[in-house]
Amino acid sequence: MKAFDIALKDLTRSFRSAFAIVFMFGVPLLVTGLFYVMFGNIASEGGFSLPKTKVVIANLDEGGPKFQVNPKNIPGGKKAETMGELVVSILQSEEMADLIEVALTDSAESARSAVDSQAAQVAIIIPADFSHQFADVDEEAFIEFYQDPTLTIGPAIIKAVLNRFLDGMSGVKIAVTVFLDEADESQRGLAGQVAQQYLKISLAENEDMEDELLETRNPSGGAQRKEEETQSLLLSIVGPIMGGMMVFYAFFTGASTAQSILREEEERTLPRLFTTPTPQAVILTGKLFSVFLTVCVQVVVLILAARFIFGIQWGEPKSASMMAAGIIFTASSFGIFINSFLKNTKQGGVLFGGVLTVTGMMGMIKIFAMNSPAAQTMGDAVSLLVPQGWAVRGLTQSMSGESPESIFLTLLVSLAWSAVFFVVGVWKFNRRYA
Amino acid sequence: MSDLPAIEALDLRKSFGENRAVQGVSFQVNRGEIFSLLGPNGAGKTTTISMLSCLLRPDDGDARVMGRSIRSDPSGVKSVLGVVPQEIALYEDLSARENLTFWGKMYDLRGSKLKARVDEVLEVIGLRDRANERVGKYSGGMKRRVNIGVALLHKPQVVYMDEPTVGIDPQSRRNILDNVVRLKNEGMTVLYTTHYMEEAQELSDHIGIMDHGKLIACGTNEELVKLVGQQTRIDLTLNAHVESVAAAWREIEGVSHVAAENGVATALVNDSNLALPHLFEAASRLSARITSVNIREPNLEAVFLHLTGRALRD
Repeated sequence: MKAFDIALKDLTRSFRSAFAIVFMFGVPLLVTGLFYVMFGNIASEGGFSLPKTKVVIANLDEGGPKFQVNPKNIPGGKKAETMGELVVSILQSEEMADLIEVALTDSAESARSAVDSQAAQVAIIIPADFSHQFADVDEEAFIEFYQDPTLTIGPAIIKAVLNRFLDGMSGVKIAVTVFLDEADESQRGLAGQVAQQYLKISLAENEDMEDELLETRNPSGGAQRKEEETQSLLLSIVGPIMGGMMVFYAFFTGASTAQSILREEEERTLPRLFTTPTPQAVILTGKLFSVFLTVCVQVVVLILAARFIFGIQWGEPKSASMMAAGIIFTASSFGIFINSFLKNTKQGGVLFGGVLTVTGMMGMIKIFAMNSPAAQTMGDAVSLLVPQGWAVRGLTQSMSGESPESIFLTLLVSLAWSAVFFVVGVWKFNRRYA
Repeated sequence: MSDLPAIEALDLRKSFGENRAVQGVSFQVNRGEIFSLLGPNGAGKTTTISMLSCLLRPDDGDARVMGRSIRSDPSGVKSVLGVVPQEIALYEDLSARENLTFWGKMYDLRGSKLKARVDEVLEVIGLRDRANERVGKYSGGMKRRVNIGVALLHKPQVVYMDEPTVGIDPQSRRNILDNVVRLKNEGMTVLYTTHYMEEAQELSDHIGIMDHGKLIACGTNEELVKLVGQQTRIDLTLNAHVESVAAAWREIEGVSHVAAENGVATALVNDSNLALPHLFEAASRLSARITSVNIREPNLEAVFLHLTGRALRD
């Protein structure tokens, strides 16, 4: 009970210090907030969207026999009497408006010269016999694709759109051919309806083309999910940063709270405690318990604050709890350990500036190297040399959705670090005050 | 049991490396009395009190507090003790009430009893109106009062006060001295250390004089003063040549125990009327200008001078 009273008193003192509050909660959240705003601005300013590709179309198609498409099956509902008009309608549809800026021209030469003069990036030339070629089961239909050779992404998208359209049309052509081969003489009159039906299916498949193309280009860029995906990407950057900040500052809190043992010695309240009928073991237990409690409050508050402020997902509740326990135990025991080597609080500045910063940065190398597979192996190895690294490892495991079973080993290693730190620290403090 | 002394120090010894801080100190404090340990800084008073409060383990010797040995029953000793340390030992970021409540818990007080005692002590130290202010905002005297209040929470049978009036204003000093007398009147035994002779004279039933880790005299004020007979103490503050003047005084008949310190030459004389002209003449001969003269009847300072050859000053 007295140990708890001592811990509660220390906890009260810690949380009455504005300096401590700022470093325990303010700085980690502020740094994460800065990253959040910075990456959030990039996303909202269009950093993840594509620039429009300027396309010049020379539709020379003169039409073909029996060609007729129901306008309600054509994007934009425009009437199309040739295959060339159908291609133009698709490229001019609202769905493609975010990707393509279309201009029409009368001749193939003017379309090509628009690309040569860099007025456009792509020229599409639909030949005069395009509909005829399409209608003839023995012919192949071609569209000329003329692009600025220095560009890749925009022309690739246009090419993909056209390929998809032409694949669909080929499917229609095959379906009609098979029908005509198999049908009786009396049924051949239905070929038009078969063609309409397959054309409808093929055009319907083109409606979500832009989303799929952007999906291929950038996993976060799908039109309907763009905002959600951007947010997800943002959190995948900010989440580990917040976690790293939490680990880094939890270790600082552990060390500075454990320093209260030395501070109380200097303030003479510790010797006074020893004159009360309270056993030394209880006093030291209370002091150590206060370190654990303070780090515990810090980690829990940061986890919850980051969840509600930034929407950071820490993983399954059980995994996240194990990850938090690993951080709390290693941070508090490490604080006790390093303080047990100090003679007074003046030495603490050097120690905090040196040992905690170096080990903290080593532990966070894993986070810095996350986006570089080459550096990640080395980063993992270096970070696991220090207790912070194991805390970060548990954190990343939990955030990436690993099961509690797979995090258990990391927690065990963290607890082993903690046990060693705790035993050495307590032994040295006991000797000091014996 | 009730005839046993409250405190019995038996040949206590403590060294820190080469420094023999306490060298065989023995004394006895009766129940319900105020016993003062008087001596200059570094005399060994605080080390003695630290051993008696089980904070330091003696190298040799033992002590009994209310019949309990500091060696074999330290927790028993601590339960009957209230210790007022020389330095302010409080949590400055907690209020006076929070400090008292916390320390009360350390003395095993709980619940309504604790709350009642905290209120009583706040009343005694005169800080009930400002009980909820943080101690860090208090004046030095107020902090001293809380420092004392902490030691009284559990109504200890014995209270140690280690120089509780150092560096405070006269009003707070008066308050503390009055409280010490009040504790005695309530039946507590007080072991009080000081280097202020007036405090020891005013408060104490018995006084022990310490110097260089040894208890060099012990008794009532009257008993100690008798050690120097009826000698009068004369202090002359000089502008220069204090050491030379003191040396000259040692040759004058009727003068004993001469000391020179901090620009003041001190002498114990049998008859001040006879000695003064000779003392003035020696100073004048050595071209030392006298800036003040102080003549005092026999007191503890004279005793200290008599016993150690040095003046008892801060």
